[in-house]
Amino acid sequence: MPLTTMILKMGEGLGNTCSIFILTLLFSLPLGLLVALLRMSKSKIISGITRFFISILRGTPLMLQLIAVTYGPYYLFGLTVSRNKLIPVVIAFAINYAAYFAEIYRGGIESIPQGQYEAAKVLGYSKFQTFFRIILPQVIKRIMPSVTNEIVTLVKDTSLAFTVSFQEMFTIGKQIANSQTSFMPFLVAGVFYYIMNAVVDFGMGKVENKLDYYK
Amino acid sequence: MKKKVLVLFMAFAMILTMGLFTGCGKTETSDEATTFTMGIDAEYPPFSYIGDDGEYTGFDVEICKAACEKLGWNFEVFGVNWDEKLVQLDADECDCVWSGMTILDSMKEAGYVISEPYYDNTQVILVKDGSGIASSADLAGKTVAVQLGTSGEALLQDDLADLAGTFGELVTCDSFLKCFTELDSGAVDAVFVDAPVADSYVAENEGFKIIDEGLGAEQYGIAFRADDQEMCDKIEAAVAELVEDGTYAEIAAKYPDIENNLLFLQK
Repeated sequence: MPLTTMILKMGEGLGNTCSIFILTLLFSLPLGLLVALLRMSKSKIISGITRFFISILRGTPLMLQLIAVTYGPYYLFGLTVSRNKLIPVVIAFAINYAAYFAEIYRGGIESIPQGQYEAAKVLGYSKFQTFFRIILPQVIKRIMPSVTNEIVTLVKDTSLAFTVSFQEMFTIGKQIANSQTSFMPFLVAGVFYYIMNAVVDFGMGKVENKLDYYK
Repeated sequence: MKKKVLVLFMAFAMILTMGLFTGCGKTETSDEATTFTMGIDAEYPPFSYIGDDGEYTGFDVEICKAACEKLGWNFEVFGVNWDEKLVQLDADECDCVWSGMTILDSMKEAGYVISEPYYDNTQVILVKDGSGIASSADLAGKTVAVQLGTSGEALLQDDLADLAGTFGELVTCDSFLKCFTELDSGAVDAVFVDAPVADSYVAENEGFKIIDEGLGAEQYGIAFRADDQEMCDKIEAAVAELVEDGTYAEIAAKYPDIENNLLFLQK
């Protein structure tokens, strides 16, 4: 197979890879914040339940969660599996990543000194205002490096979608590799992932610089 | 600052909508004629694989396509994950599994509709030239590789467990390519593999030898869901027509590695 055909064929899958990536980020970043807030809830029951869910999501392989989300509804309720695999794949990824992001947010929120809440109260800020106007902007700045870490991992984790035969770039690469008994597609896949992560790295670096307005 | 946030947000929203469109585009195909979705392992040459032009091809794919043309059905290919093929068939992701699939008693017991067998297969041992291995008895104490989820793996755990017991170590790889690479690099001494796969590999690569002792004779067939007997009958009838008018033999001639073991051509 000529190299150009190989790259084009795998490039077709790249659209699906990017869809997983973008949609997962879009859903998991806000969901993570919600989970972090539930996890820090004063109610022991709510924080206990959230903690349990986070421990399951972080303690089992994403590959298993993908299979569970895709085929679970069929085996449990007899629902047909959607032929558009993007939906179950994104659900599984978003939930899994929300659990990780939640812990990152929590670390960030708990690192803000208690005194700031007291100062805000004295100045007449409501709880809502305190959180979104004072705490969250500082949290975002502090957690940027950890978030970038997770995002870079996410780019590479998209390859796990092959377990439910979602035709993303790596799935196609694997098929070509075995069809043509050649290791070349793996090299091409490596280059694709590296380029995507270089873009992510560059973008996140820019964002971090923008946020450094006090230095 | 607010403006910047707004611009960023809008850029993000645009990227998202683009992502959504590319994601959903596929589901909007009109469905007038019956669409037959063939489930294949796209990593199984010469039965089903990705050809030089980047499209799905292979003996099974070509036959199925020709059969669908006879029936006036739309033809689609779905690449299954071989370890989960029957789950994916059950879950309606494809209408059959047709990809050099070994007929197992367990499939019939589980209620799947299985077509007439169309291919005789045996398991062979692939070794390097000059390895000193001439028969299965020589494998005692050696390291042997087999692909996960293949009938070879099942045989070594069941009918051929005695043979497997003599191996020094049994390595399970997740693809043939990895098995062969392990063999080539000297990490394993032999690969336990389906005859046609070994044949096509030896045809393209030098320095390998096949040991065929007729181990684990088995047959290939097509699997359908339990309530799809009618669909199975239609496909079988269409394939019979292809055999009748010579198309079947024509396609088979393109795949010399497997031609001799095709049951429909032996009658």
